[in-house]
Amino acid sequence: MTSAWLAWRTTTRYRARTVLATIGVAVIGALLFDMLLLSRGLVISFADLLDHTGFDVRVLNSQGMSVSLARTPIVGASEFGAAVKQLPEVAFVSWIRLDRATAAVEGGNEVNVVLIGSSHTGSRVAWRLIKGTDLPDDDQTGDRCPVLLGRTLAAALKAQPGTTLRVHSGFLNQQSSLPPVSCTVVGVAEALFASADEFDLMTTMRGLQQIRGNVERDEADVVMVASAPDAGAAAAVRAIKALRPDLHAYSNEDVLEQFNQNGFTYFRQISIVLSSITVVFTFLLVATILTVSTNQRIGEIAALRALGIGRKRIASMLLWESVLIVGSGGVLALPLGGAVAVGLDRILKQMPGVPDALHFFVFEPNALVLHLVLLTATALVAATYPIWLATRLPIASTLRREVVG
Amino acid sequence: MLLSRQLATRIHAAVGDVVTIATDAEGSGGRAFRVAGIYEPTPDPMRFTAQRLEARLHLPDLVALTADPTDGASADTVDAINIRLVNPADGERFTADLRAHMPGLDVRSTSRAPEGDPFQVLDRFHLAISLVTVTGSTAFLLALMIIRAEERRETVGAMRLLGISRRTLLLEVAIEGLVIAAAGAAFGALIAFGAERIVNSVFQARYDTTLVFLRVTKSIAFRSFAIAVPLGVAAGIGASWTLLRRNILSLVGR
Repeated sequence: MTSAWLAWRTTTRYRARTVLATIGVAVIGALLFDMLLLSRGLVISFADLLDHTGFDVRVLNSQGMSVSLARTPIVGASEFGAAVKQLPEVAFVSWIRLDRATAAVEGGNEVNVVLIGSSHTGSRVAWRLIKGTDLPDDDQTGDRCPVLLGRTLAAALKAQPGTTLRVHSGFLNQQSSLPPVSCTVVGVAEALFASADEFDLMTTMRGLQQIRGNVERDEADVVMVASAPDAGAAAAVRAIKALRPDLHAYSNEDVLEQFNQNGFTYFRQISIVLSSITVVFTFLLVATILTVSTNQRIGEIAALRALGIGRKRIASMLLWESVLIVGSGGVLALPLGGAVAVGLDRILKQMPGVPDALHFFVFEPNALVLHLVLLTATALVAATYPIWLATRLPIASTLRREVVG
Repeated sequence: MLLSRQLATRIHAAVGDVVTIATDAEGSGGRAFRVAGIYEPTPDPMRFTAQRLEARLHLPDLVALTADPTDGASADTVDAINIRLVNPADGERFTADLRAHMPGLDVRSTSRAPEGDPFQVLDRFHLAISLVTVTGSTAFLLALMIIRAEERRETVGAMRLLGISRRTLLLEVAIEGLVIAAAGAAFGALIAFGAERIVNSVFQARYDTTLVFLRVTKSIAFRSFAIAVPLGVAAGIGASWTLLRRNILSLVGR
């Protein structure tokens, strides 16, 4: 009988304790797996989001990458955009302007929306079309105010492509001298950087101008640049800085670096702290269960030794028991961890301003490998003390004590 | 001017020193200021990773330093205005009024609504993690209690043979569970109190801040107690119940 088989027989004999210990390892292992997914999840997801837009350089009028409604705009956006497009390091340029507005369907209540005016259509900017058609190019349409609704806004207003919206510049209950503008919904889209707590309304630059009372303001909050493939983002950033030293150009790598240093630090650290705690916790609990279990079976182990089963096989059997409990718990931890990660991700995405498409827990093969390595190490270390106990016990006196007891 | 502790340390400045401040790295157009004091910046959990290299000047001094001579309006420009209302409850109405009078102005209340507070979300996240931990610990505790109950099988059988009722034995197990769980919870609270100082000193040193990262309050300790003790008692009773239900003779191996 091999050590593995002996260990299997023991674990099936003490079924209740094995099942409970496995559940314990599975739950704690799920938490460990989640913390490993969290350790780099936000950075991976954010990088994916940045790359998805097809732009690798962003230009702003002030330091820092947060694009908010309170940001100082870049004045003369068209002229600047055209100058940037002439640079040999640049392949494509687009710019967006943010503003506040209210929107309502006919006979419905007004809601506050974030108005996103874009110089180019969605497939080249930052949204994914769900329903209807994309925004037309300003130059090719006679439509006065075509709009795309964010997914959550479409649901809130119960609006479809073809619906007419009454859009009013400014806030709800704000006294504004500007008249409301009738806009036509051309489609429903998911803005990549939209957060769940805001409603997005996307339109062309001409549409934005209409809503603002036809006041011509050639401004942009952020100018997005796709670098030429043979030049790369770093070269494009250098060229833009040379062109306009007063503006701030950031490559996707710069944005990620800033994000990594500021917004993400807390989650990386909580992930490290909790991963360490869960590993220590799993080690302590598995070691305790194996030690108590070995003490309970000390007579049985002495009898096996008396029958001629060597120390190595006994040690190997206890190691297998540890591997069986931690291994099966660790495997169960993967789907369980996945399910828990979905729930935790949903909680964290309630943070204000977090884009709906951003995820805190993202799977990557390295996390799985590290999870398995940590649990294997835990199983080995947890079995050390029970093995030491079992292999050093004096056979004769132990058997005598058991019989007398 | 006043310097933040972090900036004073970085530039080796002390009270009474004269420091030149300029708006560019070359130091052109710089002005000399005397350091009147060094202050500890108010800890801000939203900016705890930021290096607080700050100096405080009187507004006219700052304007004189930064104003663009070609732009007359720049001498009368500020980034933000703080307002304290006579009645703080009027915040929402005041914000709406000001926005209506000055479109384009970003007006925000300094008190955050619970639904927009990131710390409320973090609180829910930590609660969810602690629930997962409690579930895992309960499974382990039950496994240990079952091993313990099995260990005492013959003792329980002998006690039953002596006439001690199931109810008395169950009560004994419950009291034992209560004492162990209470001792465990108290030990856990002690570890948390000990960890509080270590965690805070590590993170405060790491980010050079006086922000308190971990605080074990009485209410948290009480909550842990309120969860741990009933769980410990229930695990003890649950594990022993399977043993107590058995026939007396089977307990003593006959």
